Amino acid sequence: MHELSLAEAINKTIKDLCERSAWARVRRIVLKIGHMRQVDPELLSFAFNVVAKGTVSEDAELSILELPIVFKCHACGKKIGSEAMTFICQDCGSTDVELLSGMELTIESMEVEGRQVL
Amino acid sequence: MSEIVTIQQAVMAEDEKYASRIRRLMRDNKILMANIIGSPGCGKTSLLEETAPKADFSFAVIEGDLETSRDAERLAVKNIKALQINTKGCCHLEAHVVEKALSSLSLDSLDVLFVENVGNLVCPAEFDLGEDFKAAVASTPEGADKPLKYPALFAQAQVVLLTKVDLLPYVRFDKELFLRDVRTLNPKSPIIELDLISGVGVEEWVSFLSDRLRRKRAHVD
Repeated sequence: MHELSLAEAINKTIKDLCERSAWARVRRIVLKIGHMRQVDPELLSFAFNVVAKGTVSEDAELSILELPIVFKCHACGKKIGSEAMTFICQDCGSTDVELLSGMELTIESMEVEGRQVL
Repeated sequence: MSEIVTIQQAVMAEDEKYASRIRRLMRDNKILMANIIGSPGCGKTSLLEETAPKADFSFAVIEGDLETSRDAERLAVKNIKALQINTKGCCHLEAHVVEKALSSLSLDSLDVLFVENVGNLVCPAEFDLGEDFKAAVASTPEGADKPLKYPALFAQAQVVLLTKVDLLPYVRFDKELFLRDVRTLNPKSPIIELDLISGVGVEEWVSFLSDRLRRKRAHVD
């Protein structure tokens, strides 16, 4: 259940940003999560709803962009999309592969409203 | 009126700061740090107990468990310097918790620091503690299907340890399948087979660590 730790980290980041810029409410948070991260989007949204109670992000929607695993094979030069985490080129069998995508775990943006005049 | 604000920041950015600080601390003190990850009962603590008599380096252990200080007590009996962290329900260690524990551990004349993570194949794999490498531990009674079921750990481990190989005649464990699956996830890292009762494989593990320590120090100097 590492989703709870991720939810807490997201909530804290958003809360700090909103405090700094005096936003009253967060409607939506966009996340990019690579398949290598083993994050369950439903669990993460559930955990986020729990930790965001009573904060600016209460009722905010988590919009999760799931990114596939993509390798580049240095032996045959092919780019391979993969469902599984196999670090072997499925085309030529080489293990000289580089991960291009799949490790993402970022907060991309947030939709906010109600800026308070300081 | 709502507004879109671009953030583009790592979710774990805050914790990564702690991990970076730990990495710097280890580099400055020329200490090799290993994060040991495996299921409950796979032999993580036994591995550390059996490492002590054969190690040609000094080491200390940070023990992560939900409750009790039993693992640290087990190690203390063997004169191994161990510090217990109780996560009180959290299924993995995070860098800020480890940094706090490090403040009460003397790093003087220390060569290697092991972190024995909470017994769990999923969550600990996702958190950087500032370690030099993660070691994945799997035991034969758990079954040979674990690497593909928990791929993130086995894919990023820089050494894979298969424990309880003495039980191979008694448990259903397809070793060929296990080795093949580890290789599809992780073509290069060494796989060490261990029997911690008779000590098979411990020397290979110790020499893996000595080599990594030597390489780190050569790199730092």
